[in-house]
Parts: sequence; C-alpha cells; structure tokens
Amino acid sequence: MLDMRNVSKIYRTTTVETHALRDFSLDVREGEFVAVTGPSGSGKTTFLTIAGLLEELTHGEYVLDGVDVHGLDDNQRSRLRNEKIGFIFQAFNLIPDLNVLDNVEVPLHYRRGIGAAERRRRATQALERVGLSARVRHYPAELSGGQQQRVAIARALAGSPRLLLADEPTGNLDTAMARGVMDLIEELHREGATVVMVTHDPDLAARAERNVHIVDGMASGIIEEPSMRPAVRAQGEGAFRIPGAED
Amino acid sequence: MSLYHLRLALQALRNSPVLTALMVLALAVGIGASMTMLTVLHVLSGDPLPGRSAHLYYPQIDPRPLGSGGNANPEPPGLLTYIDAENLLHQGKAARAAVMYQGGDVVQPPSGSALHPFVVNSRLTGRDFFSMFEVPFRYGAPWSAADDAGAAHVAVISQKLDRKLFGGADSVGRMLDYGGHSFRIVGVLAHWRPVPRFYDLNASRFGQVEDVFIPFNTARALNLGIEGSTNCYGRPGKDLDTSPCGYIQMWVQLDSRRAAAAYKRFLADYSAQQHAAGRFQRPPNVRLDDLMQWLAYRHVVPDDVRMQAWLALGFLLVCVVNTVGLLLAKFLRRSGEIGVRRALGASRRAIFAQLLIEAGMIGAAGAVLGLLLTMLGLYLVRRQPSGYAHLAHLQPSMLLATLALALLASLVAGLLPAWRASRIAPALQIKSA
Amino acid sequence: MTTLRPILSALRRHKIAALLIVLEIALAFAIVSNALYIVVGRLQRIDLPSGIDEPGLVLLQLATAGAGRGTVASAQADLAALRAIPGVESATAINSLPLSHSQWGLIYALHPMRTFSGGVQAPVYFGGPDLLKTLGVRMLQGMSFPPSAYRDLTPQNAFKIFVAARQALITQAYAKRLWPHANAVGKIMYMGETPVQVIGVVSNIIKPYISANAHDPGNYYAVFSPFRAAPDLNAWYALRCRPAVCPRVLKAAAGKLQAMHPTETLNAQESFMHMRQRYFRNDRAMAWLLAGTVLALLAVTAVGIVGLASFWVQQRTRQIGVRRALGARRVDILRYFQTENFLLATAGIALGCAAAIGINVWLMAHYAVPRLPILYLPIGAVALWTLGQFAVLGPALRAARVPPTVAMRAA
Repeated sequence: MLDMRNVSKIYRTTTVETHALRDFSLDVREGEFVAVTGPSGSGKTTFLTIAGLLEELTHGEYVLDGVDVHGLDDNQRSRLRNEKIGFIFQAFNLIPDLNVLDNVEVPLHYRRGIGAAERRRRATQALERVGLSARVRHYPAELSGGQQQRVAIARALAGSPRLLLADEPTGNLDTAMARGVMDLIEELHREGATVVMVTHDPDLAARAERNVHIVDGMASGIIEEPSMRPAVRAQGEGAFRIPGAED
Repeated sequence: MSLYHLRLALQALRNSPVLTALMVLALAVGIGASMTMLTVLHVLSGDPLPGRSAHLYYPQIDPRPLGSGGNANPEPPGLLTYIDAENLLHQGKAARAAVMYQGGDVVQPPSGSALHPFVVNSRLTGRDFFSMFEVPFRYGAPWSAADDAGAAHVAVISQKLDRKLFGGADSVGRMLDYGGHSFRIVGVLAHWRPVPRFYDLNASRFGQVEDVFIPFNTARALNLGIEGSTNCYGRPGKDLDTSPCGYIQMWVQLDSRRAAAAYKRFLADYSAQQHAAGRFQRPPNVRLDDLMQWLAYRHVVPDDVRMQAWLALGFLLVCVVNTVGLLLAKFLRRSGEIGVRRALGASRRAIFAQLLIEAGMIGAAGAVLGLLLTMLGLYLVRRQPSGYAHLAHLQPSMLLATLALALLASLVAGLLPAWRASRIAPALQIKSA
Repeated sequence: MTTLRPILSALRRHKIAALLIVLEIALAFAIVSNALYIVVGRLQRIDLPSGIDEPGLVLLQLATAGAGRGTVASAQADLAALRAIPGVESATAINSLPLSHSQWGLIYALHPMRTFSGGVQAPVYFGGPDLLKTLGVRMLQGMSFPPSAYRDLTPQNAFKIFVAARQALITQAYAKRLWPHANAVGKIMYMGETPVQVIGVVSNIIKPYISANAHDPGNYYAVFSPFRAAPDLNAWYALRCRPAVCPRVLKAAAGKLQAMHPTETLNAQESFMHMRQRYFRNDRAMAWLLAGTVLALLAVTAVGIVGLASFWVQQRTRQIGVRRALGARRVDILRYFQTENFLLATAGIALGCAAAIGINVWLMAHYAVPRLPILYLPIGAVALWTLGQFAVLGPALRAARVPPTVAMRAA
C-alpha cells in the first residue's frame, strides 16, 4: 500500500543543507494501522509530507498503492492525493467560511465525474459515519474541537481514500474528546481502513498495531506490539521493513 | 494622540510599502482630479465684483409682439432696443446707470508707426460704466457727463492698446483713429480683468475687456457697427435704432433693496405705459436680476465644466471606496497583532485611534501628492483651448481645501475599517489562520 | 471543478470586503459607461459631415474701417483678382460660414405670421452666383437663382432688405422639416408676413453653430438668399482650389489682398479644415479629458481589486494549502479566485446598471446629454469583467503557488 525505500529529504537554503529524512524505509500493508513516533524535530512531519505527496522526496523510491510517485508532476500528485489519501490534521484545518457539509464536500469538488447529488450523498454518508448528521449546517467555529476533528475525519472518508494519514489527530483536543476521536480512528481501522498516524504521544502510539520511531530523520528502533506483528526487523542503516513484504 | 501612536502608525505603514504607496497614489489621483475640476468651477463661478455685485442690476423688459407660436421663451429678451434703452436711462431713478453694446473695428496706428492696421473690440457705453464697475485707471479719467450728452469724440483705451500704440506712455490727449474716425484719448485703464466678463455675456464670457471705450451717444451718432448679437422680433426698418431689434445691454446701480424694488416697479410701470400707448403688445413682463443672479440665470459656468466637476466628485467617491477597501485589508491583515495588543490591555478606543491616525497619515501623504497632481491638472487645463482655460490657477483657498479634503476623505475612509478592526477580540497568540 | 455555491457562501462570511468591491465596481461601471457615452457623442460631433467639399476650400476675411470701404463693388474687384490666381477654381464672398460661430438667422413658417416666433429657425447663407459651386453644395431639385435676382447688401440697407427676399433655396433637411411628405420646390413659406418661394432644394450644409446633439437634424437647416455680400458686412472670401495647391493659393491670395488694400488688415486667413478643427477643439479636449479620467478610474478600481484580493489570498493561505492537500490542482485554486472575482464583478455591474441609468436620467434633465443607448451597458460590463479578471490574476497566481505543506504547519 505505502512502500518507501531509502527515502531522503534534504532542505537546501543557500547556506544550510538540512537532512530532514535519511534513508528512510517503510512498508505499510493494506489494512494496517501504523504509528510513526518520535520527538519533535525528528522528521515525523517530513515523513508525513512525503507520504502525503505534499512534497517531493530528494532520493529514494516511494510507491503508493501501486503507483510510483517518482517524476509525477504537480497535477498528477494532486490527483493522487485526492483519490488515494485522506488527511486528518492536528489543527483540523476545516475551512472557516464553509459549513460542515460544504467542508466535507471539498475534496469531492476536485474529483472528476462526481455530480452535485453524488457529492451530497457521499458527504452525508461520511457525516453519518462520524455521527454528525445533525450538524451539517453549522460552521466550524460553532463546533467543539472534538466535533471539528470528526468533521475533518468525515472529510477524509468522503473521498473513499486507500490510506488515512493522521497527524497528531488529538493534539489539539482535551482527554475526553481525544478518546472519542481515537476510538473513531480505531473503529475505521477495524472496518478495514489503512491508517498511518504520526504522533509524539506513546499512549496513542500504543493503540496502533505497529510503531516506527524516528530520531534525526532515521528510524531508530522498534517498538513492537507483540500481540500483533512481531516480525519487524532492521534493514540497512536502521530502517525497518516487514519481513513478509520483502519476498 | 500620543507620540507612541504616531510611531506605531509610521511603523505599520513602512511594513507594507507597496500597499501604502498604492493607497496614497489612489487617494492622490482622486484628490487631484476632483480639486482640478472644482478649482475650475470655483474660478468660473466666482464673483467678478466682490462687495459691489449685490448693488448692480440688469433690467429686462419685454417689447416683443404677441407670438402665435407656443415655443417662444416666456422670459423677456436679454437685449434692449435703442428706444427702450434711452427711455430707461432717462426716466429710471438709479444711483448710476449705463447702456452699452460691443463694437469692433480697425485701429489705424499713428502716422510714422511701423504697425499695420489691426482690429480691436470696443465697448460703446456711458461714463457710469467706469464708476459703477470700479474700473481702475492708469492715466486720466473717464469722460465727462458733458461728453456723454454732447456725443464728444473721446475715448478711453486699455493698457494693452496704450502699450501697443504708445509704448505704455501717458497717452491722454493724444488721438486714436478707430473705425475711420478720430477720438481724443481721455483715459487709459490699468489692468482690469473681471471674471467672468459679466457685463456682456453675449460676447466672450471669459475673455479680456475691450481695448477701446467710446461714449454710447457718439457711437450711435457715428453709426459705429455692432459686433455683438442683434435680435429682431419684428420687421426691421431702414434705421436700426427705430427697428424692433435689441442689441443694447444696460446695467443700473441700486444701493438698497428698496431702491431695487422701486426700480422693478418702474420697469413694470414703463411696460404698462408702453402697452397702453400700443408700442408693447404684451402685458408687463420684467426681470431685474442682481449680478450674481444674472450670471446664474445665463448659465455662465459652462455645462462642460459642471459635468466635469460632477465626474470628478464621482471619481473621488470611487477613490474613497477604494481606500476603505484597502485600509480594511491592511488593518485586518494585522488581526493577530491587534488581538495581542488587546490582550495586553489596549482598549478598543486606543486601537481605533491608532488605526485612524494611520489612515490620517495616508491622507496627509495623499494630500501632498494630490496637491501636486492638482497643479499638474490645472497646468493641463490651462493648455486646453477653452476660453476660460487660462484662468485655471490654484488659489490659496482652494489649496487649503485640497489639503482638508484629502485628510477628510482619508479619515472618512478609515472609519469603517478602524471600527471593524477595533472589534477584533483579544488573543494571546498570533494565529496564522 | 469548482461550483458557485461554496464560493457564494464563503463570500457571505466576508460581507464588508465583498460589498466594497461590489460598490467600487458599480460606481466605476456607472461613471465609465456614462463618460464613454459622452466621449462617443463628442467624437460623433467632431466627425459630423459639414456638407461642403472641405479639403479644397480656403478662407480670408478683410477687416475694413470707415464708410465706403469694403463695399460690394470693391469686393467684385477683389474676387476678380483672386480668381486670377493660378489654382483658384472659383471664388465668392459669403456672409457667414458653417462652423464659424457667426450666423445670420431667420425664422420661416408655413403660414403668414405677425411675429417671427412660431416658425423654424434657419441660418441664412448668401453670396454671389458662384456660392454653391465654391462651397461644393449640390442642387438636388429645382434651380438656382437667375443672375438677375442678386441684389447688393450694404450696412445701410442690410436690415431692411435682408428680410425682404422673395425667393430662396433650402437644404434637404429644412425641406423635410417644413414639408415632410411633399416636394418643396415651388412651395411658399413665410418670413413674418412676407411670402418666400422655394425655387430649389440643395444638399445639406451644416450650421455656423450646431446643437450638442450630433443627431439633431436641425444642424442641417439652412436657407440661401440671392444677395451679394462684402467685407463691410464681415463677409468672407471663399476660394475653391485643388487641395494640393491650396496652401500656396491661400498665401498668394493673402498677399494679393494685402497689396490691394494696404491700409486694411486681414482678419483671418485659413483653410476650412482649420476652421473646422478650431470649432471642435473644445469637444476634442473634453473627449480626451473624459477618456483620461475613465482610464484613471479603471486603474484605481484595479488597484482596489488587487489590494483586496491580495488580502484575501493572504488571509486564506492556510485554507488554500488545505485545499491543495485535499487534492486541488493549482489551476483549481486559480479558478476559485477568478470565479469569485467574476461573481463580485457581476454583482457590481448589476448594481452599476441601475446607477448608470440613474445618472443618465439626471444628466438628461440637467445637461444636453441624450438617453444612454442600451448598448453601452454590455460594453461597460465586458470592460469591467475584463478589468476584474486582469486585476485578480496576480493575487490568484500567488494563491495557486501556495504549497500544500502549508496545511501541515501548526496552527
């Protein structure tokens, strides 16, 4: 599903070269729930921008759902993002000028061949899924943080993506709301969704099937979920791969 | 307003130089365009004789026969016939009175001069013309009442003609050959340029005064030609002065409202008397406008100028709306900063004041640039072909008005944006969203 | 693909800024369409045909002083001398000229009238038998005056004789005004109580001064009378020449007249084209001024749009990033801002239409401005739509360049 091999990301300014990600490899299979952890500044966010096709990688190989993203132009990447990825941001990133229903419809506007009725149907369905059908006419500012994040999850689901990418999904929420949002993400996973979640919070990470820890742009160790998948081993310079996927 | 506010405003303006420059420029263009046009309007609608204009009146009577057409102007004609002019002049009780018409003929330079003969305009009038309108003299004086009565061959000439013929010397006593007749010069005018040239609006309204002045009676005796309009309402006879043709303007000086009312009664009585005698067919139909009323009645300010002034005001309105929009954008861009200031204890009033000061500074810069653009605009107007073009100069009053207008416009434009921005809620962090 | 509804609902959340843009566009539209109409009206006036053969006509005016000078007899001698100049095809003395500001006018009616009011006013042109030929005015119907019909007009008899002519030629426009459905030739019209027979109809010739409305048929009313004119009544000498040699002819004519009249002065010597240009210079100046103002107004409006659109782009940087992350292509973002501007411009134009018509009604009531043709509204609309699209292009391109990673930054 998500297959990164020896990916590096280097930010260059005229004076400084920053290696935000070095020789990073990760393979996420369909239906997996992977947490990417690490202290702040470790390269978690860079991983997310590469995985989410928001930026191009400097070196390495990245295949998303069978598509080699290398050499894709901006329009193709936009289209791939739109069709294959559902984003869940820490800051929710709802558009304040649009009501809940319009927010959920946003990604569907950028997909060809979907009429207004179909958009409405899918958005309504997604909102039902997150339990917010009663709030479609509200504006984001009128909702609690937990509700806003649910709307954002509905927006991610509306496009029926292959992969959910979550960035600290509970970072801006209090404990009770955070629990609700995490329960929802786990539920989606149980229904078959592939989830990659970036977080610095070990408690959250513990709810994933598998953890990858990044330090200084490199995967630095294994935090296993013994009950689920023990067989993750180091490969190359501290990168990790799932053994089964290698063959 | 504190120094701190001023410094903050300056800082803010420096932080977005392009937007600030655009705002100043847009405001200045609006100010420049409108002040250019308003200055022209102001110059043209000014009082040519401040202090005296309220006492000067233009009498009109209606000697026209009953018309069969319904489309005739109901107002009495603007020009008097010779008979009526003479009657009004001698029967009316006015402090001063003068009848007049415009002539034009050739001046023959004195013998020995290298000059070629040339055409000048003349005003053929009575001696009261000079005292009534306070015409300044450089040399000599107006001709006497005896000269008027006796149709003497005397003339007053303009400074310009004196310079051309006699090199600017005191030419009183010398002879002027005008229209093939000789006149003794009794006076030379100093510079005199009433704007508009109110006393005869049929001729060039913003032009210079005539170069030669000759007694009316002398002119009629010599049958000096008419350069202005002649309007006949009936079949002319062999002699113009006995024909139903108007060609004469008349001005009277009436020093009180009572005198003006009495004179108007006199006009009506005269009309009734002429009606009774069978000379006038219409019932009395008179007008007695004072100078400023007369200018308004005759639409002295050209329609083009009025239209341009309206256009310029519309333009200014667009510029003000534009400034409102840009200020709104500018202030709301700083929502974060304003929120933090509010959190740190700045009152709404303080925020409002600070932003208004910023708007005012833009207005001040717009005023200075607008003033320059106004001068440029007036320079361009002066290069236009219209008769009034050369009069378009910036007067001190309009200069102050320009500065005030720019400041006012910017403050008015700043009100809404500053009010809106002062309602930003206090915030402890600067959000980027 | 973007659709309009979400854009509209976003605009509803930014009422003040949206209203300001709408208002500015509406004002600009109203002013621009009216100003453009006035400009076009002026240009049409400038282009009015005079009805005379302009390029080959030069004019001179002799100012004479004193009784017995510049008489018809002396004018005949002058004209004979002028005709002798090589290149002169015909010459005449004429009392007044089209577009010269100075006119002799009379009122004619279909019935005898005790006064001059109630008829239709027309300028009267008169000269000698060569008048029509020299001006290039054509006989359309009937015939011109027989040579014996011409009488001399002098300052002494002018007022009496001028109104006593019994025959006249009239222009086509005047004929149509008096007898809309009949042939004017042979008809009688009345100057006061004097019957005047129309013996011929000539092609249109424009008045010495014309009305503000370029389409007024009255601009071409004119009557020709059988008189000879001379400098003592401020007549002009008009000479017809081949356009190529006219400048030389004018110079030679001026020299000759000055030599024949050393004590008189030449008041004017110019080509008719020059006189025409002088007549319309105020119109031309007004047209330039209005056109300049229109341009400045459009520039200011564009600045306003750029300013507010830039602000909006900056304010929405984050949501642009989010849209990009959610799959919007750069062109989708570009189109969003373009569509938004189009909607605002459309609202402004709709409002501006009402204002434009209001301003026009007011102008019609107070100034000599005719009704605004409906055609100017779509022209103004296209102008402002285009202006809006150009103005928003810069900010919209900047918006399209916002990288999707903006969505990742911490709020």
